[in-house]
Amino acid sequence: MKRPRLNLREAPLPGGQPLAFAIGLTIALFVGTLLLLGAGHDPVRIYSRMFEASLGGPDAWAVTLNRAVPLGLAGLAVAIAGSMGLWNIGAEGQIMAGAIAASWVARIGGDWPGLVLIVVMLLAALGGGGLLAVGPAIARARLGVNEIITTLMLNEVAIRLVQWLIHGPWKDPGAHNFPLAPMLPDQARLPTLFSRAHYGLLIAAAVILISSLAVRYTAWGYELRIAGSSEATARYSGISLSRKILTVLVISGGIAGLAGGVELTGTADRLTESISNGFGFAGIIVAALALMRPSGVAVVALLFGAVQIGGQSIQTLGVSSSVSTILQAFVLFGAIGAGVFSRYRILLEGEAPAVPEKVNQ
Amino acid sequence: MTQTSSPTDESQLAVQLSEVWKTFPGVVANAGVELSVRPRTIHALLGENGAGKSTLMNILAGVYRPDRGELKLHGRAHQFRNPADALSAGIGMVHQEFRLIPSFSVAENVVLGSAPSVIKTRQIEAEVAAMADKFGLRVDPAQPLWQLSMGERQKVEILKVLWRDAQVLILDEPTTVLTPGEVDELGEILRRMADDGRCIIFISHKLHEVSEICDEATVLRQGKTVASSLDMATTDSTELARLMVGASPTSPNRPAAATLGVPLLELKELSARGDRGIDAFSDISFQIHSGEIVGIAGVAGNGQRELADVIAGLRPSTRGSLIMNDADMTTASPRQRFLSGLGYIPEDRLGVGLAPRLSITDNAILRVYRQQRRGPFIVAAKALSYCKDIVERFRVRAGDLGGPIAALSGGNLQRLLVGRELDSQPSVVLAAQPTRGLDVQGVKAIQDLLLERRNAGAAVLMISEDLDELLTLTDRLLVMEGGTIRGEFNPRTTSRQEVGLAMLADTKAVSRP
Repeated sequence: MKRPRLNLREAPLPGGQPLAFAIGLTIALFVGTLLLLGAGHDPVRIYSRMFEASLGGPDAWAVTLNRAVPLGLAGLAVAIAGSMGLWNIGAEGQIMAGAIAASWVARIGGDWPGLVLIVVMLLAALGGGGLLAVGPAIARARLGVNEIITTLMLNEVAIRLVQWLIHGPWKDPGAHNFPLAPMLPDQARLPTLFSRAHYGLLIAAAVILISSLAVRYTAWGYELRIAGSSEATARYSGISLSRKILTVLVISGGIAGLAGGVELTGTADRLTESISNGFGFAGIIVAALALMRPSGVAVVALLFGAVQIGGQSIQTLGVSSSVSTILQAFVLFGAIGAGVFSRYRILLEGEAPAVPEKVNQ
Repeated sequence: MTQTSSPTDESQLAVQLSEVWKTFPGVVANAGVELSVRPRTIHALLGENGAGKSTLMNILAGVYRPDRGELKLHGRAHQFRNPADALSAGIGMVHQEFRLIPSFSVAENVVLGSAPSVIKTRQIEAEVAAMADKFGLRVDPAQPLWQLSMGERQKVEILKVLWRDAQVLILDEPTTVLTPGEVDELGEILRRMADDGRCIIFISHKLHEVSEICDEATVLRQGKTVASSLDMATTDSTELARLMVGASPTSPNRPAAATLGVPLLELKELSARGDRGIDAFSDISFQIHSGEIVGIAGVAGNGQRELADVIAGLRPSTRGSLIMNDADMTTASPRQRFLSGLGYIPEDRLGVGLAPRLSITDNAILRVYRQQRRGPFIVAAKALSYCKDIVERFRVRAGDLGGPIAALSGGNLQRLLVGRELDSQPSVVLAAQPTRGLDVQGVKAIQDLLLERRNAGAAVLMISEDLDELLTLTDRLLVMEGGTIRGEFNPRTTSRQEVGLAMLADTKAVSRP
């Protein structure tokens, strides 16, 4: 019997990744259909509701775009670190750190003019997220400590900090004993563009654009890409790896913090325990699907936002929210699985590989 | 010119491989190899790098499938689909790279993969200890593996194979990780196993070890058997070396070296450690002058790779000093060395010299992008025209310059890399295996570029495993073995054999400058 095996292509298939994403969506829809049928629902009705709620009209688009903003920024944070081969798993905590910093500014600057307040809040968010990444960045750059572990563990620190603040010093006395911080003053809220879509969209778009250009066209980004492709090549050409690691991880944390600030002023309006809402972890998925390219993050975040909003909307039809989570998971499985085939081909045993697996005489 | 000892009855042979062919894209690794191994013997498999030894052994161990050829064990034909097949037929291989788990004990490593579903630690340790005793393999079965020396780890690898009841043991260059004392011990262990009825296939480059340890030898050259089952008692190592390296096709029809100028590169008693923390080379001293191309010959793994790393600044030296263009560069960074005139063509082209995931243009500008900046940006037009210039001048066949570098063929990759390094007109050029894996045209192109650089007054150091290349191209030839310079030769007056003997650490080799 001929057993199939995978063999690396000389170059990835052109257009392989969008195709992989489409295949992933198709697989997810198919599995979702089976799932919904099994649970006794009408898939057509469910799917049309999902589409209606996420992309069917300006109001739906506004909700989806508002969701895509934190997803995109978190995805960008992970992707920027990823383009140098680093894994920032701490975006979730950095989002919280950013939201805390922005809330703090709103508390002390409640009587500042709106524009100044919002700008300072967002800068503070940037700094807060970056600050949380400084420790892992130094540990990785100077001592080689694995950044996956350190960034991941700081998530716990950030969530406890939020909990302490909203149960303790920042607790809103008017919130009937719910653990919530007070509402932001009105002038601390981002204005809207249309329907409920807020200016965070423009902020996220600008940050993603600037980052993509920086990675693609600046000397800084060039060194980043060299280091991400091969550390030995970077050393050989005289690029300081430790300084690069340090700056990239802090910038990554800062962008995630900004996501927290934008989410606070644009959507949440107050610091709550669920301010980061899993965006930091979803950002890893977004970045992975965008192949760690900052330019791909925007598109993936938009599609992912639509799937999330659509998934939430069907709860009113009696479908468990787990179904939407399962659908998201299958989009991911499908897309990553299909992505493998843009880089590998399947060979039956006995066929000659294009690239020898191991030429070792 | 195949030499064969007296014919033996086929069914008496423990292993018989006949007419084995194996090709990889662009490489014929085995072209009709013959190998016969008698039971109760230690059989040496000799050959230069690339002679096809490892391929042949990987075929015997079930890792590769031959394109053609027959494999018989005790007269019975076999076809292995995978290493498990080979193992169950009694063939076990001890690879150069150990496949052991540091946090497991010796006994656990030995039974790994063939352990019963419930592991009774005491019982297994006792069984492993008994087996180790039988063959004189002194290891403590309860000791965690990470505490063991390289020599002890090798014993664990051997025990692993014995545990699976292998009757044919293949040892791929087993002595490279051993101290001289350990080599003697290994010889005794192998002899006990042979006396126990097994046979051992021993791959090595070191002729004196082979003479001491082995009973018979088969020599491969360029994928073919040039001598099979030579009796080691009656064959001297000069004869073996002659068989391994072949006749000398030297044809020094090249321009004589220009008059020597000042020394541009000087190593003074330089030493450095390898990846395992052991000295990779020690007390190496030589000078290379302006207008001179010096070659370093040697079998892989004798310190050449580490030497190149140290000269390029990618590995720290432990003693000694390095002078380049009259400046002390012993502790200088790779970039400082580049700025003071070093061009480096690394052995690992896609991992060190080039960034595999980036475009051709991105790779072309690696040395000059700092000069192509305007503000924070790299000016794309400058980068592209620089890349075009390199591609045209060094005849790189490339389609889309924005496309991935990995799409280029090996020869074009190397032209781009060499072109980029020579573009800055370096006064010192270090080229490690610059022509390996290239086709005839590619080899010629790279060699011409290096000669051109030499004629322009640069000092060129070329490290290669291809002895013919070194003999035809260099002005002076140093042989590296065991981390030191074993001899210096004039390639115009030296035969391939003389250099070969020094490379293979034959004691009779003498320096003949």
